[in-house]
Amino acid sequence: MDFALDDEQTLIAQTVRRFVDKDVRAWAADADRAGAAPPRLSAVGGDLGFFLDAVPEASGGLLDGPYSHLRRALRGLELGRGCAGMAAVLETNVEPALAVGRWGSAAAREALFASLAGGGLATTARDARGTLDVTRDGDGLRITGKIGPVPALATASHVLLAARTGDEPVLALVATAGARREAVATSGWRAAAWGSLVLEATAVPASMVLARGAAAADAITEVLTWYKVSLAARATGVATAGMEHARKYADERIQFGKPIGTFESLIRLRDDADTGAAAVRLMALHAAWLADRVVDGPTRAAAHDAASRARVLAGDVVDRATVDAVQILGGYGFVNDYPVEKLMRDARAFAQLLGDERFDRILAVRAQQGA
Amino acid sequence: MDIFHDNPMLTGVRQMLGAFAKQSIRPIAVKHDRDESMPWDLMKMAQGFGMTQTAVVDGRKALTGKDEDGESGNAKKPASQARIGVAGSEELAYGCAGICLAIGGSGLAASPVSRMGNEEQKQEFRKLLKGDDEKGHIKVAAMALSEPSTGSDISGLSTTARPDGDHFVINGHKQWITNGASAAVYVVWANTDPTAGRAGVRGFIVGRGTPGLVPGRKETKLGIRASETAQVHFEDCRVHKDMMLGVGQSSEGLSDTKKMLDSTRPMVGAQAVGIARAAFEYLVERVQGGTMQGTPMANHQRVAFELAEMEMEIQAARALVHKAAWMADHHMDNVRMASIAKAYGAKVAQDVTSRALTLLGEEALESGHPVEKWYRDAKIYDIFEGTGQIQRRIIARSIFGVNPT
Repeated sequence: MDFALDDEQTLIAQTVRRFVDKDVRAWAADADRAGAAPPRLSAVGGDLGFFLDAVPEASGGLLDGPYSHLRRALRGLELGRGCAGMAAVLETNVEPALAVGRWGSAAAREALFASLAGGGLATTARDARGTLDVTRDGDGLRITGKIGPVPALATASHVLLAARTGDEPVLALVATAGARREAVATSGWRAAAWGSLVLEATAVPASMVLARGAAAADAITEVLTWYKVSLAARATGVATAGMEHARKYADERIQFGKPIGTFESLIRLRDDADTGAAAVRLMALHAAWLADRVVDGPTRAAAHDAASRARVLAGDVVDRATVDAVQILGGYGFVNDYPVEKLMRDARAFAQLLGDERFDRILAVRAQQGA
Repeated sequence: MDIFHDNPMLTGVRQMLGAFAKQSIRPIAVKHDRDESMPWDLMKMAQGFGMTQTAVVDGRKALTGKDEDGESGNAKKPASQARIGVAGSEELAYGCAGICLAIGGSGLAASPVSRMGNEEQKQEFRKLLKGDDEKGHIKVAAMALSEPSTGSDISGLSTTARPDGDHFVINGHKQWITNGASAAVYVVWANTDPTAGRAGVRGFIVGRGTPGLVPGRKETKLGIRASETAQVHFEDCRVHKDMMLGVGQSSEGLSDTKKMLDSTRPMVGAQAVGIARAAFEYLVERVQGGTMQGTPMANHQRVAFELAEMEMEIQAARALVHKAAWMADHHMDNVRMASIAKAYGAKVAQDVTSRALTLLGEEALESGHPVEKWYRDAKIYDIFEGTGQIQRRIIARSIFGVNPT
């Protein structure tokens, strides 16, 4: 077992870290206030290989072999340190591109990849509570209901949708053109162009249905694995950022005649956060490593289980770490002159997106029990 | 022990303020959170009910010149002000913590005036708060204690009040001041004698418009955004010596201020309970109407046990704030219990709102969703009026007799 990064992995982490420290952190407060990512994010992120890294080279992208979720997790750790909202935009194309590349028809690939190669965005949604009305329409689907709020949906050309028709799971690529779209102002990840899509008996042609039935269940499991690994990595970055800011402040702030960072209670808050972040980092990287090695049912289930565990813990750790970062900064933490109140708002989405992870884990255990 | 007794007066307070919270506060809470604006119209309405300008608990009566104990006619006779205060605070914060603080914010300044002020000072304070301002808003007061370098450790105040004939000349900067930008009158705390340490710290009544008093920048905050928080600057601000609080009394300077903060902690804890209860009730309603995987949400232990846990925490927190208030009403030393109540209330408000958000999922990510707002509001209760760490320090000191570091 080797925990060291190889040269390429180190280069990726260092490159993204430089991008985060130089640009993303400098843009973060303004993007949060504006509720939008800066226009430069597309150009700079594109130059670094975001947006098209999961699109096959033959379709105008940068992917010329197997996709590495491990590399993605490494960059997610760094992106989270910068801005969770901008990180969501930079990572939003990965799941739709990989899914369509794996399971999509020629028509689906052409539609999505042409859009992405032209600078478009796609996003991913899961109907975790079964609130959408999805029915068969020949070999296609007809969908009624509201998708979202989801990051990037305010501008995305397509949504990769995991849903169910009755008892049958389906994975489909839904074009947003023609459907009613609503921009959503959120409390966290405000740079992420959140939106909702209102579908009214919207037809999804057969060519855009990527999988259904057992094949869809497997495909959805993989998509969720990718997404959850990335969420766990980014959440770890947000938790790390919170403690970076808290540490700097605690070392400088004098109360009762000494730096507050020397009080045992605050040392413990920081150490607990650092311990949690260290644990989730390893869990996210392990889950990513497993995701890169899925070849059959058991490996698929193992990767998803690891991703799910990482995501559960990540949600708890980032929530605690950012709340405690605000606590350490006290009154300064509660006002927006310092970045920690933004981090606390950003932390919540990691536990709220894609449905309740703890409930998912209960369902997974029940499935193992045959219940 | 009668803290669990269904006192008709407390029931009346709960019913009246609970109805006010639901009918008048809730409908405007999201707007004022989004706009970061004070609910002036509602504050005027609340003033008519006797809820503003003075502390919800004791300020109004105290400002009439009647002492609390004097009014009861017997210092040993139990009062009920503190219990009324916690019952009312929970209800108002149940409506909106920010609006609750906007309504009661002036009480922070009224409290030291009622406790330490002489009749002339009380009259001056009342005079400065009389009528409306040029915008037609009710006039509000601000207590200016915290400073940029003085948060938890208020003994390190650097604002000075230098004697100069019949006046004091105040210089310094205050931060995180409730009503700091809009107040018609300030109670500012400054050190009159740096060699005297804490004993040299005194409060001064300073009217808006006094040369050298400069209301500063309004802060953009994570939560309680309907309550204004601002900086206040004092630049050679001359204040007549008659406006110094505690003259002729056996004032202990800063210690008096700390005692005053001790007295408000049960109410602050009760506000946190109000936030937790709001999130809990919202979630109960959602669960009762919702399904998960085709079965009622309430049938799932994953959901129902979370709510059971929340209910346990809320009931425990409420019992603590009521016990702390009951002790105050019975003239017992409640410093330890007040800190326990405040710290635990803050913890419960944060825990309950956080868990509720996780259960609600994506729908509660939207800005202005009530639970999302309550989550942001809850955090301040672990920071202001003594952080969670300060409360634990007080509790630990009451156990061991020393300040742990």
